[in-house]
Amino acid sequence: MSEIPFSLTWLIPLPPLLAFALIVLFTNPDKKLSARVAIFGVAVSWVLGWWIVLSSVVIPHFGEHAFRLAVHWLPAASSVLTVGVIVDPVTAGMLFMVPFVCLMIFIYSVGYMTFPGHLPQSLNVDGLDPRYSRFFAYISLFAFGMLGLVIAENLLMLFIFWEVMGLCSYLLIGFWFEKPSAYKAGLKAFITTRVGDTIMLAGMVLLYAQSGSLAFADIFSPGNLERLATTTVNVPLFGPTPWATVLAIMIFFGAIGKSAQFPLHVWLPDAMEGPTPVSALIHAATMVSAGVYLMIRMFPLVQAVEHGPALTFIAFIGAFTALFAASIAVAQNDIKRVLAYSTISQLGYMFAALGIGAYVAAVFHLLVHSFFKSLLFLGAGSVIHAMEHGHHATAEHGDAQEGSFDPNDMRNMGGLFRKMPITALTFIAGGLALSGFPIVTAGFWSKDEILADAWINGHSIVFWTLAFAAFLTAFYTGRQIFLVFFGTPRTSAAHHVGESVRSMTYPLIVLAIFAVVGGWVGIPEGFPGLGHILNNPFHHFIASQAEALGIEAAVLPFNPAPVSISILAALGGLALAWTVYGVQPVESRDAPDPLERPLGGLYRVLQNKYYIDEFYAATVIRFTIWLSHLFSRVDRDWIIDPLVNWVGRSGRRLATGLRRLVDEPIIDGLVNGVGSATNASGAFLRLIQTGRVQNYLVVMLLTALMLLALYTTPGS
Amino acid sequence: MTTAETFLYLSPELTLLLVAALVFVLDLVWRRDPDRAHRWLPWVAMGGLAVALIITVALMARNPSAHIATMMVIDPMSLFFVAIAIVGAMLVILSALDYIPARTPYVSEFYALVVVAVLAIAIIVSANDLILIYLGMEFLSITSYILVGFLKRNRGSVEGALKYFLYGAAASAVMLYGMSFLYGATGATDLEAIARVFSGGLTGDLALMGFPAIALLMVGFGFKASLVPFHQWAPDAYEGAPTPVTAFLATASKAAGFAIIARVLLVGLPMFQEKEWVPILMGLSILTMTLGNLVAIQQRDMKRLLAYSSIAQAGYILIGLVAIGRDVAFGGLSGLLVYLFAYLFTNIGAFVVVIAVENATGATDLPAYAGLIRRSPLLASMLLLFLLSLAGIPPTGGFLGKFLVFGAAIRAHFLTLAIIAIINSVIAAFYYLNVVRYMFFVQPPDGGRKAIAVTPAIRVALWVCAAMTLLIGVCAQPFVTWAAHSASLLAAVW
Repeated sequence: MSEIPFSLTWLIPLPPLLAFALIVLFTNPDKKLSARVAIFGVAVSWVLGWWIVLSSVVIPHFGEHAFRLAVHWLPAASSVLTVGVIVDPVTAGMLFMVPFVCLMIFIYSVGYMTFPGHLPQSLNVDGLDPRYSRFFAYISLFAFGMLGLVIAENLLMLFIFWEVMGLCSYLLIGFWFEKPSAYKAGLKAFITTRVGDTIMLAGMVLLYAQSGSLAFADIFSPGNLERLATTTVNVPLFGPTPWATVLAIMIFFGAIGKSAQFPLHVWLPDAMEGPTPVSALIHAATMVSAGVYLMIRMFPLVQAVEHGPALTFIAFIGAFTALFAASIAVAQNDIKRVLAYSTISQLGYMFAALGIGAYVAAVFHLLVHSFFKSLLFLGAGSVIHAMEHGHHATAEHGDAQEGSFDPNDMRNMGGLFRKMPITALTFIAGGLALSGFPIVTAGFWSKDEILADAWINGHSIVFWTLAFAAFLTAFYTGRQIFLVFFGTPRTSAAHHVGESVRSMTYPLIVLAIFAVVGGWVGIPEGFPGLGHILNNPFHHFIASQAEALGIEAAVLPFNPAPVSISILAALGGLALAWTVYGVQPVESRDAPDPLERPLGGLYRVLQNKYYIDEFYAATVIRFTIWLSHLFSRVDRDWIIDPLVNWVGRSGRRLATGLRRLVDEPIIDGLVNGVGSATNASGAFLRLIQTGRVQNYLVVMLLTALMLLALYTTPGS
Repeated sequence: MTTAETFLYLSPELTLLLVAALVFVLDLVWRRDPDRAHRWLPWVAMGGLAVALIITVALMARNPSAHIATMMVIDPMSLFFVAIAIVGAMLVILSALDYIPARTPYVSEFYALVVVAVLAIAIIVSANDLILIYLGMEFLSITSYILVGFLKRNRGSVEGALKYFLYGAAASAVMLYGMSFLYGATGATDLEAIARVFSGGLTGDLALMGFPAIALLMVGFGFKASLVPFHQWAPDAYEGAPTPVTAFLATASKAAGFAIIARVLLVGLPMFQEKEWVPILMGLSILTMTLGNLVAIQQRDMKRLLAYSSIAQAGYILIGLVAIGRDVAFGGLSGLLVYLFAYLFTNIGAFVVVIAVENATGATDLPAYAGLIRRSPLLASMLLLFLLSLAGIPPTGGFLGKFLVFGAAIRAHFLTLAIIAIINSVIAAFYYLNVVRYMFFVQPPDGGRKAIAVTPAIRVALWVCAAMTLLIGVCAQPFVTWAAHSASLLAAVW
């Protein structure tokens, strides 16, 4: 195989990093130039990435001779830590998706990041966000993290890039930190994912201790997996458990946090406070799917114990989250929150697929979902942007509505199809893909593969859970489309919207094309009529890797039952949405939701997301705050402060002795807190440095004498 | 060894000597044309240093272990330090190109003296005999006194030089006293002969001589490496000296101190490791890093801050000797070498930024760095990199050095030492990042409109330092291998 493009893999993440550095250091005063630098950086990565993808798909059985390049980085106690890159079919799939979606979203951001509505208009100088350059710097850094993650050759590097993304996610969710809700959401995301990351890090440390290496190639060597699967560890409550199971579940917790699975899903809906391109890029297409990617990478470890509890656990969490989040999405009114819950639900699908061993289907759904979900978010952003402008337009005409105006609220919209046809058509394409509209959309093929796998391999609970979730998905997607684009405008802002600028609509069109045709590479061979046109190249490509890693990935026989059920769920959901919201559109923004009456109390529960946030506030958060109060008591009243005060008093005594040399501010500084105690000891020690060389010599000779005295003292 | 071989192994030193002489002579020849001298002599010195560096690297490839009489040993370790000194001197000359002529008419002597100082270091690091060690130390000291006091019309410079001189003279005397103990006990001045006598069994008076001798020797060596409590000359001399000289003292000269400590203790006094010198070094290490860091917090002048920072760094470096283990690849000694190598580029880089700012503003206090990111994004980002490396943040060379010496300490079961060092690193991060705060977040008094110009020579020095700082951290393995190899022969003797 030709080495040339593969040996350049390590270059892929660098252009965005360079762009980040350039923007931060040099180009930031020029907003347009900064945007161009960022786009250029990610475009270079995109070209490189697709070059590698194209070179890899033409290699038959690529998975068996995946490319690996590693150099020694640091000597560790018994082994050497490496840095390196890996290109195998899964990486190639990610390299197809990540830089391209990044590029589309970067371009979209150029038009989107106009002056935000929450700031006073008096600050508006050029119509652009005041931190426009910073935005592009952050998303470039993010692209660096994500691209580095997908090519990482070992778990340590993966974790480093994982944290880079976590940082960017925090920075970007709180990007409009003038809004209290935004910075709170940023904190919430950071802290919630930290819970998962800590468990994951502990898992990594244990994994290193058990296998002596964090390189994927070493961890997944048959001998090591065999050992991990057979040696056991005593887990409290569970008894002897194979190491492989324990480690897989610990690492899965990282994925639970990052991919917002139950019970750590609470941060993702709040993360919608960030600018919409961020929601599309980080909280739909790339970062959140990194959790799924991690588990795909770690899959040999997960299934080292055949049919073990790790698989069951992942399948359970995934399937449960898929249904749970889909049901919440039904009752949300914020256009982005619907999509956020939908993302959580779809990520649950992928985990469920992994849990039942549908490796190829999980990869397929991961990639396809990224395309249509980023499309949906960008479409939603286009709508929100238009609504904000519509609101300004009405405000200028003097017929602004009473009360605060939420441009995200779908109840304020309606009838936007004719005002912004490109956004509407592309959004509907994405929505149909999400609902799994049969045959034409990509989402149908990827979702169908998961369902078929569950059916054929006899995971009936997973199958029915996911099928019902698919029905709900189709329903809330239909509800969203009808509420936003059909009927009549429910506010004057919605009357005044117009189509977005071209830098926003073009990425929508490109992504819409992928949301439709992207699935065709994965049509099952057994599918009547269509199966033999392309012969399911995607499956064969990924399966070659699965086989190399010893993962079951045979081509499934065609079975009409799951396909029919999947079609029924999709069409049924859409049809129900049409009867509820399409036939008789909601007329006014204050009218109750048509679901409210039939669902009764359940609707309330769904709207409040099963009260999970309230539950956490009452338990975990309350406990943490109580604990921190306790510690602060320890600090202030019982131990630390008295200690510091004691140090301070001794310092004061010393200082009075040396009054000639000490100035008052230093002494005053002695009393407040540990920081100034450190500071103060420095100040005291500085006194030795009198500037008189005589004193220096005395210190030197005294030291020498002390050393000698120490030696002659009996017993030393 | 044949005469030809002797000359071959001494060729770096001989080259340095010739270059220094050439610079002095050319200065006289071009006396009537000072402009010409000022323009060309630095490049003569640079060229000579480059030749010496090439010879040194070529000698490294021969992997020698050559004794020149009993006085000197040319081995990978000594060559490693010679290379450090030469590279350091080249960077210092680059950074001094604008600094020195702006402050004094005596320019050529400066370059010649820097080359002479490198020669002194080259002799110290390969000295294998107490006499030559003493002579080399004096040679380096006297050269350094002149360099510190080079701006003879500047009060600070002269004051620093005088304090340095007085302190150095006293320290030499104490060190010499310690050497006389060793000679009295063993009747030898050759390190290997001393080791042979001691290895015959530590009976009677012989056993008693170890500790006092080591304690007194450490006064002299500690002075050179500026270990607490023999560091007190350093802040004053560093602050008063011309900044390029400060950079040289804080890196190359300090490295020579560590080279000599390592060689004397490992070659001459290995018998006294457990009970005598490990406890002494551990105490000095803890004192050095703790005091250096605590006082550094208080500093409001960049040169003084970096002076204390480099004192604290010496404490970390010393851990490498305390935790010297038998595992060469991850041993303390190779960690020490990597640390010194990374620290060379990092610290000189930081001083080069100080020089650039001083050239532009005349000031070295912290407020002069306010809003540096606006006035010179290059300088600010470079200083950020160097400070991160000094603080030990990956992926920089400073991280690698800390990783290796702390790791060696943990492997050799010096857990307390490692913990103290880690706490110290946290304290150090505070004052390093405080400088970053000034550069990025504090509004400059004039609104930062006035850009700082950076001359090409300084630019080159900065880029070299930055590239090496990053390279050592990112591509760690070749440097670790090189250091382990350099340490291996000495470790084998020991």
